[in-house]
Amino acid sequence: MNFTQQLINGLVLGHSYALIAIGWTVLLGVARLVNFGHGQMYMLGAFVTWFVMSRFGLPYLVAIPIAMAVGIGVGYLMQRTMLQLTIRQDLVSVMIVTLGFGHVLEGVAALFFGSTGQILDTPLSVRDIYIGDIWITWQDIAIIIVAILFFALLKYVVEKTRVGRLVRMVAEDPKLALLAGIDIRKIYLGVFAFEGAAVAIAAALIAPRTPILTSMGFDQVIITFVVVVLGGIGSITGSYVAGIALGLFAAFFGAYVSAAYSTAAMFVFLIVVLVVRPGGLASRPGAH
Amino acid sequence: MRMMTPLSWLIGLGLMLIAPALLGGSGAVYSAFVLIAIFAVMSYGLDVIVSDLGEVSLAHPVFFAAGAYASAIGSSRWGFDPISTLLLAIAAAAIIAAGIGIVTLRMREFVFSLVTYAVTVVGMTLAANWAFLGGSDGITGIPVFNIFGYSALTDRELWPVAWLLLVAALYLVRCFRRSRLGQEAMTVHLNPRLATMSGIDPHRVRIQVFLFSAPITAAAGWLYSYQRAYISADVVDMYFLILMLTAVVLIGRRILLAPLIGVALILCQEKFLSFGGYVDRIILGSVLIVILSFMPRGLAGPAFDMLRWIKRRAKNINT
Repeated sequence: MNFTQQLINGLVLGHSYALIAIGWTVLLGVARLVNFGHGQMYMLGAFVTWFVMSRFGLPYLVAIPIAMAVGIGVGYLMQRTMLQLTIRQDLVSVMIVTLGFGHVLEGVAALFFGSTGQILDTPLSVRDIYIGDIWITWQDIAIIIVAILFFALLKYVVEKTRVGRLVRMVAEDPKLALLAGIDIRKIYLGVFAFEGAAVAIAAALIAPRTPILTSMGFDQVIITFVVVVLGGIGSITGSYVAGIALGLFAAFFGAYVSAAYSTAAMFVFLIVVLVVRPGGLASRPGAH
Repeated sequence: MRMMTPLSWLIGLGLMLIAPALLGGSGAVYSAFVLIAIFAVMSYGLDVIVSDLGEVSLAHPVFFAAGAYASAIGSSRWGFDPISTLLLAIAAAAIIAAGIGIVTLRMREFVFSLVTYAVTVVGMTLAANWAFLGGSDGITGIPVFNIFGYSALTDRELWPVAWLLLVAALYLVRCFRRSRLGQEAMTVHLNPRLATMSGIDPHRVRIQVFLFSAPITAAAGWLYSYQRAYISADVVDMYFLILMLTAVVLIGRRILLAPLIGVALILCQEKFLSFGGYVDRIILGSVLIVILSFMPRGLAGPAFDMLRWIKRRAKNINT
């Protein structure tokens, strides 16, 4: 087992995890909401990219914005449907509704795309790079670059721009934000649409690494959850660091211990962390 | 439901017992009734968590699976009878519930739900990979349900057992809602601060409700293993979670018969009005979305409003 190869695998995997989780990070940080349909939105993004490329023969760079547009549409529709629940902060119902959306999306995708696995080949995924014993694809390099750029841009927008300030105000106190004249409906709708776009771009970039299945959403939502909670709920930098840490953990655990139990091991680790530090690794000790 | 007298309960439950025979008594009807009873019992476990405690536990498929696996292993490998496997199923679920309860003691809302989701994922991984649980092959060779000389080879013969289990679950949930623990759970749900000021320990209440809830869902898993005679990792499937949640919210929360009616409506659609697996999945998910987003009191809400309106109209006409 080549240590350096595992290190590179872990870094690529880590950036993938962070990229998948970016939409959820904003969702939790801003709206204090969770979306259990996140994994199925990822699956949909991957299948839309595959469908547009294989059926219509459109280039990869055109397929990505189309997948993002579909993601925006789905995110907007989800939030539009449960807007009253969100405004009432009825978190129990919101969680169940998003689970329902995930179930529907999986059914729709299986009906439309079929239940057999597909391979999403892109111009980048078929080009390998060998450095001695080390193997990497251009797709992996694209994942790392896009993840870094996306996180940097997001951090800038949330912390330095007017939109970011509005979003943070709504996160801090929605009622006060409403009194200050902020249209919180637009913010909530915008955040869900952003989540749809972010998860779609993540899917278009990461899905070429493995065969795609309409039932694969379950795994993605789990990883996202671990990244977001370990990173400290709503923390952008925390999610990025947690994503990479988890990627390295998964790569080494899978290579040296057991690939079948790597997800379960992540969860056991998460549960231990949550018991010791309920706010995640990025929080102050004892914080909630 | 408060208006129902013990006699009307007895008549209703008696009618339920003979309902499959009244509906033609075919194998498909008995099969549907047995499954409705099993899945309703499964849902009652979650109902007390969602409706009374006000939390969303996503770990209930694990309790269902714990009951099914405990029963399958106990009966096929160790030769236990159904009473012993039921006790084993309850013990297994109670141990897991105590573990989850302790771990999630200080977590609320989405963190609690996410951790319970994690438990389901771990359960799914274990069920699919652990040789003791049969791995991906599952557990076969579960003997026919046989108790005190009564053997249930078919769903027709299993129906009285499923009915009894359902009656027991209904009775337990009814007693829970009238008990001190049930009232404390509602207080913690509606006003945690008031609960604390009243001397109620929310952590203790949550663990106790969890310990009450998990064995009910596990008991459903116990009977499911005998009904299917084969258990594999698919008992931890997300379908069961969505089914439970939809059944709990479809009619309305804190209505004793609601999960039973909810499960009956869903399974009747899937068994007798099915449009294929994928469309059924879309229907089930859509029902969940529409009910929670636009009818938060469930189907019973508008029905009760209508009844109240009719009563008011009748009163006005009389006066």
